Amino acid sequence: MKKERSKKYRFLQILRILTQAGFFGLFLYLLFDTHFTGKDYIGPVETFFHFDPLLALATSLAARAIFASFALAAVTIVVTFVAGRFVCGWVCPLGAVQQFFSFIFRRAKLLNPKKIEWQSRLAWKYYVLIFVLVGSIFTLDLVGILDPLSFLYRSFVTGIIPWFARTSSSFIALLYGLKASSIGDAAAQFFGTLSLNQTFRQGFLISLLFVGIALLNISKERFWCRYLCPAGALLGLLSRWNIGKVRVDEEKCIKCNLCSLHCQTQANPYPNEEWRSSECVYCYTCAAICPTSAVSFPVKATPEKIESINLSRRKLIFTSLLSLVTVPFFRITPAGKRASSKLIRPPGALPETQFLQKCVKCGECMKACPTNALQPALGEAGPEGIWTPVLAPKIGYCEYYCSLCTQVCPTGAIKELTIEEKIKVKIGTAWVNKNRCIPYALGTPCIVCEEHCPTSPKAIKLVKTQVLLPDGTVQTPLAPVVDLDLCIGCGICETKCPVVDDPAIYVTSVGETRSEKNRLLLDLIKPPVPQ
Amino acid sequence: MNRRDFLRDLALGSVALRFAPSLLAQAKSFPDLAVIQGDSPALITKEAMAVLGGMKRFVSKGDKVMIKPNIGWDRTPELAATTNPEVIKTLVELCFEAGAKDVTVMDNTTNQAQRCYARSGIAESAKAAGAKVPFVNPYRLKKMALRGEWLKEWDVFTEFVEADKLINVPIAKHHSLSRLTMGFKNWLGAIGGARNQLHQKLDEAMVDLAAFFKPTLTVLDAYRVLMRNGPQGGRTSDVKLQKTVVAGVDYVAVDTLGAGFFEISPNELVYLGIGQKRGLGQMNLEKLKVEKRTV
Repeated sequence: MKKERSKKYRFLQILRILTQAGFFGLFLYLLFDTHFTGKDYIGPVETFFHFDPLLALATSLAARAIFASFALAAVTIVVTFVAGRFVCGWVCPLGAVQQFFSFIFRRAKLLNPKKIEWQSRLAWKYYVLIFVLVGSIFTLDLVGILDPLSFLYRSFVTGIIPWFARTSSSFIALLYGLKASSIGDAAAQFFGTLSLNQTFRQGFLISLLFVGIALLNISKERFWCRYLCPAGALLGLLSRWNIGKVRVDEEKCIKCNLCSLHCQTQANPYPNEEWRSSECVYCYTCAAICPTSAVSFPVKATPEKIESINLSRRKLIFTSLLSLVTVPFFRITPAGKRASSKLIRPPGALPETQFLQKCVKCGECMKACPTNALQPALGEAGPEGIWTPVLAPKIGYCEYYCSLCTQVCPTGAIKELTIEEKIKVKIGTAWVNKNRCIPYALGTPCIVCEEHCPTSPKAIKLVKTQVLLPDGTVQTPLAPVVDLDLCIGCGICETKCPVVDDPAIYVTSVGETRSEKNRLLLDLIKPPVPQ
Repeated sequence: MNRRDFLRDLALGSVALRFAPSLLAQAKSFPDLAVIQGDSPALITKEAMAVLGGMKRFVSKGDKVMIKPNIGWDRTPELAATTNPEVIKTLVELCFEAGAKDVTVMDNTTNQAQRCYARSGIAESAKAAGAKVPFVNPYRLKKMALRGEWLKEWDVFTEFVEADKLINVPIAKHHSLSRLTMGFKNWLGAIGGARNQLHQKLDEAMVDLAAFFKPTLTVLDAYRVLMRNGPQGGRTSDVKLQKTVVAGVDYVAVDTLGAGFFEISPNELVYLGIGQKRGLGQMNLEKLKVEKRTV
């Protein structure tokens, strides 16, 4: 028999790799483009999230709402119905990342696809999916934790980009060290234009998770896609009836088993009847690697019975029940009982309950924030609010004329606001700590908070105040007093306060427009100050 | 200069004056301050420079010029929190006409730099005139000896020091601590470090910085003047249309004249008193030649 590998499938394989690179490049482009580029309004940089049927389904269930923007998910669903998990293999940027690391580890001889095992573990991702969806039915929106797009975007925003920016900084410093100042200047300006946020409270932790997921590829190729990805599982369920099924030509087959060994997602092309449509991502590795061109993917309009993952009914019920039982655990937290002072949400954020039902923890808002103020929450919002955005005025403040975070939120957890609407939204209230404030405590002038206060008239007034100094004398410096009616809680006062360690003026969430409960005085709700 | 050189120069100078008294007269013939009013920010800036003897008097062929506007805030020009972009553009053009090799416009902003540069209109207009408009570069921040009375050393963006000619182009605004922010206060945008701690002795800091940077020329933009709620304002009702620029070498004199727009006596501006005492310039405008024109 003539031994020859298929040129057609080798070509398709290369085309697939190029397509993956293209989509990953698009992902990076949209990621890096999400910042202030000179205009108040930003383009639809978050649209790719809307192609994700898992986000669409889980968020719709949790929020009890139909999202017009998620209509795009229908494209993915239709493609999957017709062509199987094509999107996983050709489009998904996290899939591309997994593939890339698998490739590296195989080249490094760390990953050796020697035997086929762990068949039952393929079912994990379906249980993850069930867990997430049942949670969503009970309004617990956990989808963002393991949704591939959320996972990747969040990892990049809070981990990979800061790493990249800091690494680049070292190189730029080196350029100056080598007296290549003009190249250094150009590089510094370039990075200035990108405005990359470099400080994230959980940057290390989230990076660690990302690196962990990447390292899992040492154990199995595309570990995430095989065993963990709930979006892949959802597409797997939809892919059974697709028309492009693998066919192994028994005449040509020499039973070398290479196709199954090298299958990226353990779909098992050989023996043919054991091939799992729900696992195949159409990478065409099997067809390209086959030494006798025995493997092909003929288009067949008629569906046929094919092997699928054995999801035990018992386990499905168990997972559903587990999810159901777990929901209340997430809510054993004072977060729902009393507003947390540190839980300052971005302007436009929905009331907390609705916010948590919609936020998919993707980090778009954190990327768009011009001052690095938005940070992934750890405990501030309770366990279900992990990695949701919190404004940390010690790190950055809410830029007065900016509403980028509201424009890029893919689920409307942060309601889109115009600049005019945004400047009327109060996200918290500033308080002076007179024990630490320089004029109050030392009788020394300062006024920095007042100078930076962006509202007009200023919410921080300077009032002559009597201060008793340690030597018994009395000084009367100008000291800041906050006008609660005017303060919008933007936090620039806290960010810029010269009392470095623990700012002498600080913002808490009280008085936030979005909450009816977290208010200070009943009469604080007044018509906006005429401009 | 040693004593011998001094005596020689004195002798030469006396001889020169004896035979050509016009030399000194000519050098003195330019006014100390040009105060020009008019509808067009560009035209009044041009006129101010013409009155002072043209940009050629300050900028020589091949010079690297640094222009320091106030781009501190994320505000549009109508709100008078940042220097008028047309004033900057005109100065850039005049510098190039005078033969400058390159002109840079730069400021260490308070709000996000990208926003301030774009929304103030300065980046666009200065670039249109051919200037470089970079963001301040943290790698070019260097601790320098200021040798001030209060500020001994501070982090300075070296481009401001390394330029051949330095033109300070502040905008006239209200400020709650120094009363007004004009030429002196503008230098806080040429430095890095914990700028917010300078407010504890702001007047002294401003004088130390102005004495350190010693601008070639100061052009005070008083086209729109921010009367209240400074230094960033936010409402057009805080803005007074003054339609004026003030230009001069003596930066004490420029700020002194600027105080008049706010009906504040220059004596109330503590930093001016300190500056004059230190010999940085003249607060008594009667001793100076002030040329006022309307175009």
